This record gives sequence, C-alpha cells and structure tokens, in this order.
Amino acid sequence: MKKSLINHQSEQTEINVSPLIDMVFILLIFFIVATSFVNEIGISSAYKDSNTKSDNPNPPLFFNLPGSGIVMNNGTPISLEEVAQKVRNLSKNKPPSVIIQVSKGVKAGLATQVMDQALLAGAKAVKLSVDSK
Amino acid sequence: MDEEDGAINVSPLIDVVFILLIFFIVSATFVTLPGIDVSRPKVQNATSLQKNSVLFALSDKSEIFHAGKKVKLFEVSPLISQSIKGKDKPVVIQVDKWADATVLTELVSEAKKVSHSVSLATLKNR
Repeated sequence: MKKSLINHQSEQTEINVSPLIDMVFILLIFFIVATSFVNEIGISSAYKDSNTKSDNPNPPLFFNLPGSGIVMNNGTPISLEEVAQKVRNLSKNKPPSVIIQVSKGVKAGLATQVMDQALLAGAKAVKLSVDSK
Repeated sequence: MDEEDGAINVSPLIDVVFILLIFFIVSATFVTLPGIDVSRPKVQNATSLQKNSVLFALSDKSEIFHAGKKVKLFEVSPLISQSIKGKDKPVVIQVDKWADATVLTELVSEAKKVSHSVSLATLKNR
C-alpha cells in the first residue's frame, strides 16, 4: 500500500517530454528544408573602378573579342593559350591589368575563358568592357 | 514495475536532435537562388566563392534572373543594395556560357556600383 503510493507520486512528478520532442523535430525539419548549401566555385576579377587614376605606369593589356569566337590582341588574332602567354610575359616585371573588350554577339563563355587565362597567368585585375564600335 | 522497465529512455534521442537542430540553425544562411539552371563555362583556376552572397543568373537568352524572377538591368543595383542591407555581401553571377558577353559586362558593372566583389560562378575544370 505504501509502496504503491510512492510509485504513484514519482510518476506524477515526471515531466512529459513528448510535446517538446515534437516541437524540436518540427524545428529541425524546418531548418533542414530551409538550409540551402550553396557552394559556388568561380572566378573573381578584383578590379578597381577607373575613376581613381591608377599609379600603375604599365598601360593595361587589351584583348578584343570581335565576335565569332576569335581573340584579338593588337589587331592580330591569337589563341586562348597565347592570352596567358602574353600576360605572363608582362607579369615578369609587374602584373598588368587586363581589359577585355567585347562586342555584341560574343558568347559569355569565351569572355570568361579569356578572363580565366589572364588571371591564371597572374594578371592583377581583369575588367570587361563593351566595345562601342 | 513491468511498464517502467519497458519504457524507452528518450533523453539521448533528445540530445542528438538538439545538437542537429543547433547545427542547422547555425549553418542556415537563407540564400535566395536565382531559380534557373545555367550551363556554366569551364575554367582552370576557379576558387571557392563566399557562401553568403547575392546570386544572379544570366540565362542563355541573356535574361537576368534573381530570386526566381526575371529582372531588368536597371533593377539590378537597387535589388542588390536592398538585399545586402548595408552589410558587405559579395555578388555572384551564374553566367551561361551561351549568354551575350555585352550583357554580362553591363551586369557586372551594374553590380560593381553597389558591391565590392563581383564573381562569376563556373565549373571546375577537372
């Protein structure tokens, strides 16, 4: 008789945790669903905008993309590998900044690849600009 | 007595669930995805970009997407300043390799007006 009374009391003082678990599970599922692990890889061209005149004495290296998938430098068509080579030649002394002039109709993939090659070869900054011709 | 023995001890379960919950709360960044799939250009020196960023996408038809909606070029810089709210979030542009490079150039310069860092998302060349 006495024993059963004690048992009864201890059962009453126990906290019912199941609503807590329910709530925590709902929060957990919400955060799992709402979390999007965006893990992008890519290239960033850290250029400063040209309103501050640079103290860099080197003139920037120009590459023209006149469309139809060719890269021009000083009026001569060059290949993608030569882009890296030209930048690397200059970057022995001082890393040059590169300006890529694109015309209408040029695919962004090509422009990105030229940017990548220039950055790979050690260009300090790469800037895209629209060829107004 | 019998019933007490048969009851499952749930406290380790709660511990584990709490740890998971705290992990997901801490790691949640709530990035709004642009909402379209692009075929990324392949490059050689891609690096890992910052995770908490403002995402834009440029489709193969040279349309700009942000948070599942098509946006105009002039709406880009207000949208960025609205979503960074004075913080220093980088902008990531998911560019399709068949998009027009002039549109990309304009988009990058628009984004550069309000953000210090603008990157292009690419595929890793393996």
